[in-house]
Amino acid sequence: MEKGEYRCDDMQGGFQHGKALVVDNLKKSYGRFEALHGISFEVAPGEIFALIGPNGAGKTTALRIVATILQPTSGTARVYGMDVQKDAARIREIISYLPEEAGAYKNLTGLGYLSFMAELFASDAGVQREYVQRASDITGLGERLRDKIGTYSKGMTRKLLLSRAVMTRPKLAIIDEPTSGLDVVAAIDIRQSIRKTTAEGMAVLLSSHNMLEIEYLSDRVAIIDRGTIHDVGTPQGLKDKYGKANLEEVFVQVVKQ
Amino acid sequence: MRRFFVLLRKELKEMLTWQTLVPILVIMVIYSFLGRVINQEQKKQAAPQPVTVVDLDRSQTSQMLAGILTKANFKVTTYTEGVVDDIVRKVALEKGSAVLVIPQGFEAGIQAQHPQKVQTYTILRSFSLLGMEGTFKLDAALNAMNEYVGDMYIRTGAPGLDPAIVKHAISAESFVTVGTTSAEGDPQEIVTVVMQQTMVIPIVLFLVIIMAAQMIAASIAGEKENKTLETLLSTPVGRGALVTAKMMASGIVALVSAAAYMVGMKSYMGSLIGSSSGTSGTTAQAIQKLGLVLNLRGYVLLGLSVFAGIMVALSIAVILGAFAEDLKRVQIIIMPLMMVVLLPYLITMFIDINTASPVLKWLIYAIPFSHPFLAAQFIFAHNFTMVIAGIVYQFVLFFVLATVAARIFSTDRILTMKLNTTRRGSGLGGWTLQREGTSFRIRRK
Repeated sequence: MEKGEYRCDDMQGGFQHGKALVVDNLKKSYGRFEALHGISFEVAPGEIFALIGPNGAGKTTALRIVATILQPTSGTARVYGMDVQKDAARIREIISYLPEEAGAYKNLTGLGYLSFMAELFASDAGVQREYVQRASDITGLGERLRDKIGTYSKGMTRKLLLSRAVMTRPKLAIIDEPTSGLDVVAAIDIRQSIRKTTAEGMAVLLSSHNMLEIEYLSDRVAIIDRGTIHDVGTPQGLKDKYGKANLEEVFVQVVKQ
Repeated sequence: MRRFFVLLRKELKEMLTWQTLVPILVIMVIYSFLGRVINQEQKKQAAPQPVTVVDLDRSQTSQMLAGILTKANFKVTTYTEGVVDDIVRKVALEKGSAVLVIPQGFEAGIQAQHPQKVQTYTILRSFSLLGMEGTFKLDAALNAMNEYVGDMYIRTGAPGLDPAIVKHAISAESFVTVGTTSAEGDPQEIVTVVMQQTMVIPIVLFLVIIMAAQMIAASIAGEKENKTLETLLSTPVGRGALVTAKMMASGIVALVSAAAYMVGMKSYMGSLIGSSSGTSGTTAQAIQKLGLVLNLRGYVLLGLSVFAGIMVALSIAVILGAFAEDLKRVQIIIMPLMMVVLLPYLITMFIDINTASPVLKWLIYAIPFSHPFLAAQFIFAHNFTMVIAGIVYQFVLFFVLATVAARIFSTDRILTMKLNTTRRGSGLGGWTLQREGTSFRIRRK
């Protein structure tokens, strides 16, 4: 898939900047511990970009900073040219963030949850209805949407949350470990949903420690370990560069160096 | 503003579930039930109590005494012969409660001017407070008998002399003074009635503060655990709106439950008040004259004080909730707050703030929750300065705490701070999010 295919879409949004996300020398410390040692990468509009690495590599921290819920210690992250610290409020209007293994309000129904989240983004009731309708279609949960979320399986909840994350047609969706904790069928379902929705021009920043999933899903990947990005490229490009059969082997090779 | 109401509606939907409502309803029903039961018990008490008189003397005086018992609201059954032990056993079997034995030679002894003894048997079956009241009345009956006999002697010994001058030459007319007003009345009785007016408030207030605090802390911890908080923080919702929606929702739920408790407690307390001899006409007049009734101003001040107390508790709970990583920790984390609320509750119940040592006094004043507990006392004592000072202090404290809470929510501390210092990071990368915060570090940052 070529990046160029999507270039026209972001101009519709009225954004002058060519990049959906530019992360530059980003550092984050928790007390004395530095979780990110200055990472840099870029995401183009319509691109699915993945951070891959083991647990504790700094993926979630990076995603949370882009999602404006953590403040960087130094460095910058710009979403369509807007700074995550100075323009956080404006960024929140055009992004959506799906945390790893997130839950939803158990006492709300699926529909109630979608309606609540849609109302936070929508400017009027018509737009809200449109969001809820889109999300309901994507979930494929049908009548179960009228049941309380407390009764859903993990896969159903994830489907609901993913639909919520894309229903507003965000310019940038940030998805942390899209399929962790799900069975194979549910995972494939989720991956297909992500693929389908990006066909509409949404940029996606995701993280995963499942290299095979990433290979299927992403246009480009960044290999991250212990707070440092070691290499960035397309899955095919990286495999060719290191002469390996799959990303897992590439990862081991890169991290060893 | 629109988003605030969207959040508020969601919070209410989350908080007003059957799990929260059922316990409130149950308590309400239990207390009104208790109140009704106690009322019935009191009616039973008010009905003539059966007493069995074993009159072994069979004299005019002994018959007279039985007559006095009837006048003192006893239902008298008289035996004139038989073995006392057998009769007591029989009465016990028939669910009687008291036996009075007038021995043989009673009248002769009285006429010979020797003090006489009667025997009373109280058959104990229940050890409750109300169950005991029958015995006290027997004492009253004995007093009445003594009065009668005494009067009889005085009349025969000194004709024309009023027995009252011999037995009660001096009696008091008691007055009670509050502020600059005085009124005639029994101080004990007035204090009891006034206290009963506001007796329910501390209990309900305590329950409501604890409940609201727990609810909001659990709500925040739950959102952290479920990661719904992270989601909300990345949406275009103001941090202030997030915090205030939560506070308002738990405030509303707290008020709803307070109302429910009040309804239940009122019936319960009402029955307790009914049990204490009842308010005599003079006492009621004295209370009116002394201004010891909560008027509109009193209610407004008391309401403000209670409201401020709840707001302070909520803002503390928001901060505590931000420290809790998950729902399980909420109980532990909310404990200090419960202690701080419980302390003034107990202290104001047992200690007179006016005579407390200065250190203790200021300690009590420093605890914001003392003020709602003390407000009623101050209002009755017409010490409005203290009430208003307390309210102002509480609101100032609330604004400081609310600012701190909003600050926590608007930085990444809401996600990174926690009290847990034991689980230091393990795992592949050498760190996990557990590593990031000790309270020590947060303070230093």
